[in-house]
Amino acid sequence: MKLFPLSLLNAAILCAGAPALADQTSPIHGIRDKTPQLVAFTGATVHTEPGKTLQNATVLISNGKITAVGTGLAVPNGYRTIDSKGHHIYAGFIDLYSNYGVDAPKEGGSNSYRDEPVYQNERQGGNASNAAIHAEQQWVNTFKPDEEAAKNLTTQGFTVVQSARMDGIFRGQAVVASLGNGLPGELILKADASHFMSFEKGSSVQSYPSSLMGSIALVRQTLADANWYKSAYGKTDWRFFGQAIEFNAALAALGKLNDTGLVFEVDSERSLLRADSLIKEFNLAKASYVASGFEYARVAEVKNTGRPLIVPVAYPKAPAVAKMDDQLDVSLADLRHWDRAPSNLAALTKAGVPVALTTYKLEKTEQFWPNVRLAVKYGLSESAALAALTTTPAEMLGMPGQLGRIANGYQADIVIANGDLFKDGEIVATWTRGQEHAFKPINDPDFTGEYALDLAGEKLQLQISKADGALEAKLVAGDKNVKVDSFNIDKQQLQFSAALNEVSKTKGVAQFSGVLSGQQLFGDVRMPNGQQLKITASRKAMPAAADEKKDVTPKLVSKLTFPNLPFGYEIPVQQKNVHIKNATVWTSDKAGKLENTDVIVADGEFKEIGKDLSTPSGYEVIDATGMHLTAGLIDEHSHIAIEMGVNEGSDAVTSEVNIGDVISPDDINIYRGLAGGTTTSQLLHGSANPIGGQAQIIQLRWGVSPEGLKFKNAPKSIKFALGENVKQSNWGEAFTSRYPQSRVGVETVIRDAFQAAKEYKASWEAYDDLSSSEQKRVAPPRVDYRLQTLVEILDKKRFIHTHSYVASEILMLIHLADEMGFKVTTFTHILEGYKVADEMKAHGASASTFADWWAYKMEVQDAIPTNACIMASRGLVVSVNSDDAGLQRLLNQEAAKSVAYCGMSEEDALKMVTLNPAIQLKIDDKVGSVVEGKQADFVLWSGHPLSVYSKSVQTWIEGIPYYDAKRDLVAQQQIGVERQQLIQKVLGATDEEKAGSGGGYKKPDPLWQCETDGDVFKNRLNLQHQH
Amino acid sequence: MTFKRSYLSLALLLVTGQVAANDMVPGKQQQKPILLTDATIHTATQGVLEQTDLLMVDGKIAKIGQDLTAPANAEVIDLKGKHIYPGLIALVNQLGLIEIEAVRSTDDTHEVTDTNPDVRAGIAYNADSEVIPTVRTNGFSYSLVYPRGDRLMGQSSLMQLDAWNWQDATVKGQVALHINWPNASVLSSPWAPKEPEEMAKNNAKNMTELRAYFVQAKAYATAKAANQHRGIDSRWEAMLPVLKGERPVFVHADDARQIKQAMLFAKEYQLKLVIVGGRDSWRVADELAAAKIPVVFTAPYGLPERDEEPVDIAYKTPALLQKAGVQFALSQDGYWNTRNVVFAAGQAVNYGLTKEQALAAVTINAAKIAGMDSDIGSLEVGKAASVVVSDGDIFDYLGHKVRYMWIDGRAVDLNNRNLQLKDKYEQRYGK
Repeated sequence: MKLFPLSLLNAAILCAGAPALADQTSPIHGIRDKTPQLVAFTGATVHTEPGKTLQNATVLISNGKITAVGTGLAVPNGYRTIDSKGHHIYAGFIDLYSNYGVDAPKEGGSNSYRDEPVYQNERQGGNASNAAIHAEQQWVNTFKPDEEAAKNLTTQGFTVVQSARMDGIFRGQAVVASLGNGLPGELILKADASHFMSFEKGSSVQSYPSSLMGSIALVRQTLADANWYKSAYGKTDWRFFGQAIEFNAALAALGKLNDTGLVFEVDSERSLLRADSLIKEFNLAKASYVASGFEYARVAEVKNTGRPLIVPVAYPKAPAVAKMDDQLDVSLADLRHWDRAPSNLAALTKAGVPVALTTYKLEKTEQFWPNVRLAVKYGLSESAALAALTTTPAEMLGMPGQLGRIANGYQADIVIANGDLFKDGEIVATWTRGQEHAFKPINDPDFTGEYALDLAGEKLQLQISKADGALEAKLVAGDKNVKVDSFNIDKQQLQFSAALNEVSKTKGVAQFSGVLSGQQLFGDVRMPNGQQLKITASRKAMPAAADEKKDVTPKLVSKLTFPNLPFGYEIPVQQKNVHIKNATVWTSDKAGKLENTDVIVADGEFKEIGKDLSTPSGYEVIDATGMHLTAGLIDEHSHIAIEMGVNEGSDAVTSEVNIGDVISPDDINIYRGLAGGTTTSQLLHGSANPIGGQAQIIQLRWGVSPEGLKFKNAPKSIKFALGENVKQSNWGEAFTSRYPQSRVGVETVIRDAFQAAKEYKASWEAYDDLSSSEQKRVAPPRVDYRLQTLVEILDKKRFIHTHSYVASEILMLIHLADEMGFKVTTFTHILEGYKVADEMKAHGASASTFADWWAYKMEVQDAIPTNACIMASRGLVVSVNSDDAGLQRLLNQEAAKSVAYCGMSEEDALKMVTLNPAIQLKIDDKVGSVVEGKQADFVLWSGHPLSVYSKSVQTWIEGIPYYDAKRDLVAQQQIGVERQQLIQKVLGATDEEKAGSGGGYKKPDPLWQCETDGDVFKNRLNLQHQH
Repeated sequence: MTFKRSYLSLALLLVTGQVAANDMVPGKQQQKPILLTDATIHTATQGVLEQTDLLMVDGKIAKIGQDLTAPANAEVIDLKGKHIYPGLIALVNQLGLIEIEAVRSTDDTHEVTDTNPDVRAGIAYNADSEVIPTVRTNGFSYSLVYPRGDRLMGQSSLMQLDAWNWQDATVKGQVALHINWPNASVLSSPWAPKEPEEMAKNNAKNMTELRAYFVQAKAYATAKAANQHRGIDSRWEAMLPVLKGERPVFVHADDARQIKQAMLFAKEYQLKLVIVGGRDSWRVADELAAAKIPVVFTAPYGLPERDEEPVDIAYKTPALLQKAGVQFALSQDGYWNTRNVVFAAGQAVNYGLTKEQALAAVTINAAKIAGMDSDIGSLEVGKAASVVVSDGDIFDYLGHKVRYMWIDGRAVDLNNRNLQLKDKYEQRYGK
């Protein structure tokens, strides 16, 4: 073992209690270490726990434990006494999210999207089938103390870490260890600590998962597998498998997750909520999340998770606003986050969220304390901060009786600072289990003050003061002064040089060397001419400096809105009861178009539709004379509000992934859609695979939570895809190995998947039919979310919307559906639908098409803008969709194109974006037309809703005015004002505040298209603007 | 690889077999006078004339007025209640250069080097493209096609859209040199190809390179003027008219910083500048107006460039340019979607233009920017008889129905592949 070095510098680390090979099993070589371990700290300000402080108190430690704490305690005989007068003592800090003592992962493979995809993980021992799962790793097995890394942490006051490798989705089981010196085995406090997790696949080069929803699906399947494995492994009746249950160490380890607990790292507050609902699906009680720094934006929902957070104190670098032109690249959202990031901890603790602090994400660990102090300035209370460093993490570790307090029986983990740490105190020493790590001398003489020097009759004053934590000195004569050079203090000795020219008749540099003894400074001065003078001076306290930096309480400049983006609402909009007078009402129903008609909206529903209605008391009145009112527009095919990938484009069948898991209420395109009159959108998985992911119907409720975005009680749906995209025709040279590569293979893949689903269903039915004693004996079938989703389709509980273009593939799927016993609800895109309209009708399908897109790839060469008219004329329910964040603002115009191109009646055209898509989404009982009793989703238009000369004036969902053109204008003004104020704050900030410390900004998603393929974790995106 | 190649050749076969030539026969030269009577005439330069007649003789507009007398053997068409417009002009697209975007063999838009000022789009224009007739059907008679590229992209050509081949189609073979202006923005997004610092460096490098091309071209011009050049450099030779200010430079630039850079650059080299793209042009509209630099705005349906910009900023941009006094045309860079530019003009009316201003943006202003306004772009006596007739307001879905089109007095077949397929399949359903 390497001996700990004894540094000669004043930042020496002294290891009073680091005997070589002190464990119980190593044979002793040489002489035994029997240094006593009895220490008394006296006269200190002792913070025994958050909110409790003892003045002038004594702390006794013995053999690595605290044995007594109190005021007026006598120091027993035999103790080394450390006079700690003027010092503050805290319990050692705990960092719950660390990779201390654990080797870094090997570099991942190539990050190029163009490289050959990897579909399988190499299997070794009992590893998992996916390379992002490392749950079988117990990091205790390779834990090794690391002197440098430990010092980084102990200098900040940390004494204990929870540590694992931060790589992959299931990252393995952490170890809790002391940051002291010694053999690994001596330092390990808890071998089986929490499992670390994330949604990032890290060094894995396996293609799956390539999207956030894929990650979520993998976590879900793996947790289910762990439950299954617990009940199946070792059973000898394996009738449902035809072979013995595999040995799987990863699943075995995860079977104990409920006891070990888990720490889940997320990169946004949205993902925190996602992770939590996922973890709750499996009733895992012991979970905490590593915060992203954005929790302030949804603090109520974060609080509702009931989980403690591990919070980094890294703040982002200020946006680049120094050059005016560069400001074009700076978003209001980033400016807001820079402003608010240091207030995140205050927001969380004030809301009552339990938090622990971590050094994780900091560029440099020494930024920790300045950043904590900044958080305190922004409103974090000192006791909350101390709790976040001591008692809270101790409880989260399940070690509240050992760690986190200065109390009898606790581990002797102690931090000593020469002042209040939350103001300007500096840590001078940290003790780990009685082992001393000293960084600065304790109780060295205080040199600050004034000294009257007599240089051969000339009176000069030496002033020594503290600035930015360091001492500096100047020589003063009257109103002149000069800063001294080479100023050096070592214990009691002081040395410096000073150019005298400014303050003396003598020219040249004088040098000084002296010693402070009590309040007297004795020394020698060598004058420029070589003359040596003896000097004696008394130390006098300095008068309070007039130019001392004022401690300005920082102010938040930014607005916090819902969502926290431009055009967000400071107060979420509320439901209203309104009386809309004298509009032209397009009912999209039997009643047709009604002139000069009133609509009364109450409690989120259309209450009454008629002429000259009287206004119920308390109702707001909108004079809609000259305006038109339609149902809110519905988009059958959209990819807005989806986070981190629209395609899980790795496998050919990915029915386990769910767009509903990754919807984001923080997409500006929600607001933009609303502004165009769209109220409901079906968010579909992309078209990268024959059986894609589960879809999610949302309402464009601007400012709600992710859950609030979901259409209440909407039926389940799923995306299928056929043709060029799924056979990877335009994916590049590397993508020619996945089955299928042709339309002939698309059919067989889908057939085989449904056959597997049928067999899966049969297995479960057979299992359910067993007696309970038989069920105990048999290895039960495994829950397979991929197949379970297909079973829902067979059971008519989930409905297919399939991307499709050409007649041959449409007929293929209809035949296959008939053969396998499922139905296609809607053919989407369906540009050749006009060729096989009768066959689609006979199948019972509907059609959702582009108004006029064509010619962009081979399979759309026969697309025609009269497609909608022909399909409608054959009795199909036809809608037009956007599939595009831009077009979703113009759905009324897309519908109007059928009036222009083929003379569709205006009412029928409007139905293509109101009632018909509602029917296709099976929500027409709630929305899609203006009918009494239906949900009050409507748009007020400036004129005829199909005219190019009309625009939406207001858009309402369930009686809530989510978009109002007038309010939009006000918001535009306010954005400009707020932006300017924030830019001013950045421009006026110190370099330190601008530099940041490792915190980042939210990553804006690109505009997802059907065909946006790639790997969001490797930034391997192939942005193709095709559909 | 083998598979890939055979697939490609299969695609090629399909393409050549299926879409190499459309069935629409170009109109014959005008044989006799045509008198259009009693229509609402949107002249684009002289306002709107109600119940007015228009006479076309020998491919030119001979007369416009009320109650014109039909010349002997004239074809008289009663257009009561209908609207006459100049043949619409779509600037800046790839019509006839791309047939199917995803099929590489049908794309003739892009050369490999950064310096292609000598390539001319017009000579690759496929007059038989299936896409062209679908654009005519919506009222377009002219298109300015340009080659894409990384920096000096090449020269655009103004084509009329009813021809046997590119030679017949060419109205003006060399309209402008198109430059893809170096990126000026630095985005810190995980989807951005590079780190912000690297992007900034790259932007600067691209600017330096662009400047170097002009330095070289100018050196060539100087040497050539003194007869000191070492032979013809095809690239710099093509830039001589540009450097003399005879041929405009169409700079493709969306970002305000790019536009400002291009304006300074044009001043330095005394170039005749036109901004193409212009998403941020509203931010520098006053400067553009003062410098009399026209804009071809190609994002009439664009999403805002930045989250905090107004949702409708792209719709409003034409009106903002108009208000500032910038000369501008409306377009959409693409090919099949060119047909929607007519509705984009309507959308610009919805957001602040008058209908006449919107019409100018797809007719006379476009003609001016292409340097052909003496012949086309408005209904005036002596100009080309390029005329389009719609049943109602051509810009609005509720009125748009193009009934007739003449280019230089030649009647244009308004059928197209879309309509032929419609007719074919309606027979399947017994219509």
